[in-house]
Amino acid sequence: MTAARLWRPGARGWLGILLMGPSAITVAFLIVFPLARALDLSFQKIRISRVGGARLPFTLDNYTRALGNDEFWNAAEISLAFVLLVTIGCFLIGIAAALMVNQRFPGRRIARLLVALPWAVPEVVAATIWAWMFDGSFGVINWLLLKLDLISGPIAWLSQPHEAFAVCTVALIWSGYPFVAVMVLAGLQAIPEELYEAARMDGAHAWQRFRDVTLPALRPVCAIAMVLVVLRVIRDFATVYVITGGGPVGATRSLAVYTYEQAFSFYNIGYAAAVGLITLLLCAAFSTMVVRRQVAR
Amino acid sequence: MRKQTLPALAAFIACAVLLFPVWWMLVTAVAPPDDIRAYPPVFFPTHPSFAAFHSILYDRPMLRWIANSLIVAAMSTALTMVLGVLGGYALSRFPSRTTRAVGMSVLLAKMIPTTLLVIPLYVLFREAGLLSTLASAALAHCTVTIPFAIWMLKAYFDSIPFELEEAAAIDGNTPLGALWHIILPVSLPGLGATALYAFILSWNEFAFSRTLLFSAPDNWTVTIGIASIRGEYIISWNEIMAASAIVAVPIILVFVWLERYLVVGLTAGAQK
Repeated sequence: MTAARLWRPGARGWLGILLMGPSAITVAFLIVFPLARALDLSFQKIRISRVGGARLPFTLDNYTRALGNDEFWNAAEISLAFVLLVTIGCFLIGIAAALMVNQRFPGRRIARLLVALPWAVPEVVAATIWAWMFDGSFGVINWLLLKLDLISGPIAWLSQPHEAFAVCTVALIWSGYPFVAVMVLAGLQAIPEELYEAARMDGAHAWQRFRDVTLPALRPVCAIAMVLVVLRVIRDFATVYVITGGGPVGATRSLAVYTYEQAFSFYNIGYAAAVGLITLLLCAAFSTMVVRRQVAR
Repeated sequence: MRKQTLPALAAFIACAVLLFPVWWMLVTAVAPPDDIRAYPPVFFPTHPSFAAFHSILYDRPMLRWIANSLIVAAMSTALTMVLGVLGGYALSRFPSRTTRAVGMSVLLAKMIPTTLLVIPLYVLFREAGLLSTLASAALAHCTVTIPFAIWMLKAYFDSIPFELEEAAAIDGNTPLGALWHIILPVSLPGLGATALYAFILSWNEFAFSRTLLFSAPDNWTVTIGIASIRGEYIISWNEIMAASAIVAVPIILVFVWLERYLVVGLTAGAQK
């Protein structure tokens, strides 16, 4: 019987490949092939209007230009600052939220749901909400800070470099912390209760139990969450672009926004491809580093 | 009971603070225009007005943006589900070095900056005459949705006992027949959650859509539309928050409804 033969071990390998085939081909067309094209573009001094004509001579110009360029390093610095601040913020709020809703209290299920809710708000929408809350004239944040006497007059958040950067950071944290909270909560629930009991028997205080039982057990989950949060921040375009467009005077122009601007505002598509590929290399290096360390443990 | 009041209270306050932006979106969307400039701000609208919804829906092409977003999301979800089911089934039931290699490399797509990938996609779609069409955005969204769907469905198929297929094999089914007749019917919750999540990813997407569709305003999606209102010289915060509410509230409701499935699927996918 043909049907029975298909289930045999010899046929199974081929079946898997056959089933995976359509995805593999699609991904090749939509990701691998385009990436190769981007690589090719990055080695040409080419503008968007020339693309499709004869191939221009090979050059490393785009890469040398990027690495010797203040704008590029400025963008790299801003991306790094976003990554550091947003990751710290996401983990502080995310872990605190997870610990909070891991306790036993009435309405805990609803609290778990609500804590994760910003996740469901589309990035573009989240960005516009924060832009409105930080509005210089009628924004609710200015009102709050004035009320608390923390500032003496309204701040024009989005037209000043540091302030605009802070607004983007807040928005990115708000969209990013729920993922950490959900992951950490799943990790907390996987810790066996016996570990805590054993620690209690040894006379460990709440803080010691947290430090010696909870934190080590959460390490693998946190490592994964960290990789994904960092990648998300480096790759973010929507949040920053909608809030500030990369301004004022480049104060929020991250690598992603810089890549986009070079490609589609200034049409330096070869240069933009080079900047984008450098960003990809940074992402890949960072992810492998964390995953390696995690595996080595 | 006493011991539980404090955590409950803390959780309530924390949720109120963390979710204030969502509340503020809704309040602004229904605020009469005077309330927007009110000092102190009006936190609980006493005279809700739906003027902003009216003007966003009838004076601006919001309905067209919504229709475009729905079409793009439907197209990318359909393609994603076909490929995701086959790929996820392969990874779950017929793992080999090759399938795993494809599965892993698909995950690496998570590292590629959208702003990088969109450059060659823009060029390729332009050469293929697809630029500014809804199909171009749908295909671009698939670069995000396919990898995640394959792994989310693999995790779901893993939870289905293999005996089901053994029985199907004895009954004379081919593997594809078993997938179609036996596995898919019992996987409907997983399929639904995956499809919905793919749909949401596409509905929310901005960078690809904005680049590929920007030159054709008739084909703008909701996210491009909202960003364009945000970019206007005098921003009508009522209208933009009304538009935001229209875009976000359905997603929030789906999330509330399906939270358990979505969270399980996502954390499973994230651990790979």
